[in-house]
Amino acid sequence: MTVGRYVPAGLWVIGVVVSLLAIARTELRTDMTAFLPRSPSAGQQALVDQLRNGVVSRLILLGIEGASPDALAALSRTLAARLRGRPEFAAVDNGEEAASAAERDWVWRNRYLLSPAVRPERFTAAGLQAALAADLRLLGSDLAVLVKRSLPGDPTGEVLALVDRLTGTARPHARDGVWFSGDERRALLMLETRAEGFDIDAQQQALARIGEDFDAARRGLLEAGEARLLETGPGVFAVGTRAVMERDATRFSLLATAMVAGLLLFAYRSPRLLLLGLLPVMSGALAGIAAVALGFGFVHGITLGFGVTLIGESVDYAVYLFTQTAPGSSPESTLARIWPTLRLGVLTSVAGFGAMLFSSFAGFAQLGLFSIAGLVVAVAVTRWVLPAALPRQFAVVDSALFARPLLAVIRRAGRLRLPVALLTLGAGALLCVHRGGFWQQDLASLSPIPPAAQRLDQELRRGIGAPDVRYLIVLAAPGEQQALAASERISRALDALVSQGVLAGFDAPDRYLPSDGVQRARQQALPEPDELRARLAQASAGLPFRPDLFAPFLADVAAARQAPLLTRAALPAGLSLKLESLLFRQDGGWMAALPLRGIDDPARVAAGIAALDGTAASFVDLKAESDRLLQTYQHQAVVLTLVGSVVVLLLLSVSLRSWRRVLAVAAPLAAAVILTAALLTAGGRVLSIFNLVGLMLIVAVGSNYCLFFERLSREDAHGERSVASLALANLCTVIGFGLLSFSGIPVLHDIGMTVAAGTLACLFLSAVFSTWRLAGRSPAAP
Amino acid sequence: MASLSRRRFGGRADCPRLAGALGAGFLIVAADVAPAPEAAPWGLERLMHGLHQVKAASGQFVERKTLHMLSEPLVASGTLIYVAPDQVQKITVLPKRERLALSGDRLTIDGGPEDRPRSLSLADYPEIGAFVEGIRATLAGDQAALERFYTLQLEGNAEDWRLLLRPKASALKDIVGWIRIAGSGNRIRLVETQESDGDRSEMSVVEDIQ
Repeated sequence: MTVGRYVPAGLWVIGVVVSLLAIARTELRTDMTAFLPRSPSAGQQALVDQLRNGVVSRLILLGIEGASPDALAALSRTLAARLRGRPEFAAVDNGEEAASAAERDWVWRNRYLLSPAVRPERFTAAGLQAALAADLRLLGSDLAVLVKRSLPGDPTGEVLALVDRLTGTARPHARDGVWFSGDERRALLMLETRAEGFDIDAQQQALARIGEDFDAARRGLLEAGEARLLETGPGVFAVGTRAVMERDATRFSLLATAMVAGLLLFAYRSPRLLLLGLLPVMSGALAGIAAVALGFGFVHGITLGFGVTLIGESVDYAVYLFTQTAPGSSPESTLARIWPTLRLGVLTSVAGFGAMLFSSFAGFAQLGLFSIAGLVVAVAVTRWVLPAALPRQFAVVDSALFARPLLAVIRRAGRLRLPVALLTLGAGALLCVHRGGFWQQDLASLSPIPPAAQRLDQELRRGIGAPDVRYLIVLAAPGEQQALAASERISRALDALVSQGVLAGFDAPDRYLPSDGVQRARQQALPEPDELRARLAQASAGLPFRPDLFAPFLADVAAARQAPLLTRAALPAGLSLKLESLLFRQDGGWMAALPLRGIDDPARVAAGIAALDGTAASFVDLKAESDRLLQTYQHQAVVLTLVGSVVVLLLLSVSLRSWRRVLAVAAPLAAAVILTAALLTAGGRVLSIFNLVGLMLIVAVGSNYCLFFERLSREDAHGERSVASLALANLCTVIGFGLLSFSGIPVLHDIGMTVAAGTLACLFLSAVFSTWRLAGRSPAAP
Repeated sequence: MASLSRRRFGGRADCPRLAGALGAGFLIVAADVAPAPEAAPWGLERLMHGLHQVKAASGQFVERKTLHMLSEPLVASGTLIYVAPDQVQKITVLPKRERLALSGDRLTIDGGPEDRPRSLSLADYPEIGAFVEGIRATLAGDQAALERFYTLQLEGNAEDWRLLLRPKASALKDIVGWIRIAGSGNRIRLVETQESDGDRSEMSVVEDIQ
């Protein structure tokens, strides 16, 4: 006996120590990508990653509002000047030209290698004469100031066209040379961080810098008054989401723990019992974290915060044990009585959580493993450790206080059987009719970013003309040069589409780095110095240009003919980042991406690209891709839910060995799921994947209440205590999940609401559908 | 009505730095009850007010540019059209037809050296913007817009005035030395521009009789 008492305790201590050791070596991750679906195909995944981590993900858009336009412009200038001195930012652009001075300089120096207009005919005497005549007219016009500086070095006008091409043609509205929204109520800035958008710590530091510098800029300007800073961009979202997630997970877990503890303290009237009652759930949580740490190598923040709620049903185990133990009887005898039901309840829960193990969301797989390990350990602790730790003589507060009224309600609940059955049938019918628009179609709906922040993002993005990639052309090639050559071919085809008006514009890697072949061809198109001098003299005969005006042109062309070819390493920082996002190594080969802008007829563009021979290029619609992805995940979630439910049903059938009893457990469970689903989709609302996971958790967690209620209906002796323990356990679960529904994060909110409503329904429906003998008794009997 | 509110806005913009929220409200009221500008002695205020009354004007111009890059001056002539508050068209007839239209922030050039019409935002080319705004804002009598770029200095009298614009921002000073606009009453006769690199232009305008 004594040995038997100490063995479980000793094992428990060893388990705790091992778990703590495993946890101590594990990394905690908090980014949301674990709860975003991953793309199944490797190529697509690389592409999406590249876009995520490329320039687009490094963008931070800022808006300043709440002061006069003059003050906003001054703030924008000061802020930009400060941020340009910060190491966190690769580029700071607010419309002032200085922002891209290095890039302009680079383009200027390499204009003859970069410009697609460099062809032999442009440098003949006739070609030069046409260029000079155009220059003369430009000098006479009001645009003279544009070309005066560059004219002696660039009479053929390569740079003007190049700068337009490289900096994009859609420029934001501006005032005093600083970007503004159209109504001039917001000054706009665009920053590019050095760190990737999903490096949340670095992004947080960058945001802190922006905040500091903005405050300093505002303090330095008397007129700034109440000026406010608005921020958006992938990094801003990542930082914001992490903060909200940490806050929600921590706050709701603590609140739920506090409320559940308060409730149990009220029921047990003993701090010692309360602590013992929390022992299974705490041991389970510890084991769960350790299991995830060993299985995944890292623990996600949501697993920590949310997992405790998921295994909250293990609080119930102690509740059943404590409340069902009548004064004078031993906990062992209670356990012997409830153990078969408890074991079956745990098994059904494990079956439900087991389905989550196979989810493509890494986050759900973690939660599944956490819950399984947690529940198994919790029930083991309840069964073997807890009885030994309980005081010999203990009694939970007389449950008659609330058990009697509950029993009275339950006795009458049978009368609701017909209305509830009809309601359930109606709800089922509604669900059948609802199909079609049943699921959320948009991947963005899973996004933890609040709608208001998404709106602000769109406003600033539109105002600033920042890239919002949806359509792009992707090509693969064995080497960098082949990829660039293919990009050049596609660019020519796209240029044709642009001039036909099918396409507003596009970006391509060969704009920043032409292939070696093209660069050489351009060098060969440039005449030798003496030849060029002679042709220029011939071309400028009769025109009023001062002699020797074009000496810089002659020198630059001579230098360009001998210049080393441009390579990736030669690009200035800003353009280099851009090139990296458009041309990158992948699986031993190279991939190029050409983002497209302003497409009215995607099919026509796709057809134009498909018609090109010899390039392995494909037209990609990222929105369609991600929607397809979402459908795959919905399909997967439905399959997992069905498999999980079938396994639960099989478990019930095997254990209960009676169709009547299986029906008594399964009918309220099914009705609860149907009613909850109908409630969630009422008024034309749609279900998210998270709701679906929640529905499965109703089966996993709710089955316990149905099981215990079914058992309760077959025994008389412990009626009151059993009802009290069930109500208490259910209340704890509803509190835990119900609190989560106040979270702003879809995954917490959707699952919390679904499970809270569903498990409450489980208990209520079990009462309604039970064939409990008590229901038939006369009220005077006890 | 629109012109009235613009006017009021311009008046308020003169001294926003002194005025808090309350003060600004007071100034709006003050502008309503202020004596008509005609009662005040002639000066910048009355000149601008007079120019502002002009809703549309057109005239023939002759422009002569002396550029350091060229061995002889360039001469062009054509028609200048202004429609309040912010539309300016400069149609060059000689030596070659070319139309430059300014509307709001958009500058459009067609028949220019390039085949296609070229359209650009003044905001992207502050150096052009400053030139163009100097003339347009004078035509519109928009003192606030002028003062965003220039310090103003007025000489002469109502019948023969010369308004000297000197750039404020150092970036602009690198390009523009000064602009002098001479006129009579609410008509403009001559626009002289001195660029920082020594290039000059003189544009004389003979306004059509309305």
